[in-house]
Amino acid sequence: MFNQVLLIVWRESVEAILIIGIVHAWLSQSGARVGLRYMWLGVLAGLGLAGLIGMALMSAASWLSGSAQGIFQTVMVLTACILIVQMVFWMRTHARTLKTELESGLAHSVGNAHYWGIATLVAIAVAREGSETVVFLYGMGMAQWYSGAMTPFLIAAASGFGLAVLTFQIMQLGNRLFSWRRFFAVTEVLLLLLAASLLVGGIERLIDLGVLPAGPDPLWDSSALLNDSEGLGGLLATFAGYRAMPPLTAVVGWVLYWGVIATLLRWQRRRIPMTVRHDTSNGMQAP
Amino acid sequence: MKHMLRLLALLTSLSLASTAYASELTEYTLTLHNGTLSPRTLHVKAGERFKITLKNTGNTPAEFESTSLRKEKVLGPSVTSFVVIHPLKPGSYDFFDDFHPDARGSLIAEAATPE
Repeated sequence: MFNQVLLIVWRESVEAILIIGIVHAWLSQSGARVGLRYMWLGVLAGLGLAGLIGMALMSAASWLSGSAQGIFQTVMVLTACILIVQMVFWMRTHARTLKTELESGLAHSVGNAHYWGIATLVAIAVAREGSETVVFLYGMGMAQWYSGAMTPFLIAAASGFGLAVLTFQIMQLGNRLFSWRRFFAVTEVLLLLLAASLLVGGIERLIDLGVLPAGPDPLWDSSALLNDSEGLGGLLATFAGYRAMPPLTAVVGWVLYWGVIATLLRWQRRRIPMTVRHDTSNGMQAP
Repeated sequence: MKHMLRLLALLTSLSLASTAYASELTEYTLTLHNGTLSPRTLHVKAGERFKITLKNTGNTPAEFESTSLRKEKVLGPSVTSFVVIHPLKPGSYDFFDDFHPDARGSLIAEAATPE
């Protein structure tokens, strides 16, 4: 029981921590301290939302456990995907110039709008993973309460959370150990992969809701080669959208996603040298 | 916002339609009891939609999850719910109780034997 509670509390937190950790490291590095307040606001909102979703998930009769739950999850997953992609591209254009822009007070209008996006993203990440943790801990807690073994349960839950915080600390440390440039390169890839996995999940939910056709399903079966429900395959499924038996529509969506990302990256690379030239001139910023 | 609401309304009506459809489906039952699955192997017919009724008879929560079946369903203690699965090609599909990582099972989709 001990290991199970510890493992699940930690594991459910990892996805949320990945996002919070990167946002936190980036905001504190780039000097955009105002943004940190929005981030913690997002964490708090996410925790509140997690509690509400958790309560709704627990009772089968509530409307959230029926098809409305599927719709809600789909909207959440797709919104998170869009917000992550938007954040990555915002980071790319503004990371280098944000500090000077903030100092000269020019980035405030741009910043505030995006900070709400960041707060929403963090709230969704926390609510998604947190709601399951709420159900799990509440249910396990009740079971332990009746069998009278509350202490090890509480220790396990606390250790799981402690481990999650430690992971967060290591991420912060990592960003001091590695160069700023490398930190960006690694986290961008992680976030884009995560967004791809959210997109695949969202498409699958849309197929199940009957909004999108599935096409040939499955298009292939690579489960003998790499099973998507355990080990490395399971990890790739959660963090990159790998599927051993994907429907055509999900594959098309995945390919389109990377196509759009590649196009945006190429388009942005052509624009960035211009921004840099503006910065190095005399502190005047492009509007 | 207006578009969002319109999309939500569309999604709601679509899913209500699919729920009505769900009540006429072949039904299989899977019982989850504190990390024990029964049956551990579910035999279903390939090529048609079906419904799995999930019964959590334990006093701990459970989560029916399967990447290949594209389902995740959280069940509180002593909660019964169901999932509708899309038509499957013949083959084996894994599922597990995500809250009890050792509880793994498989679903075998079998083609109808030609008469």
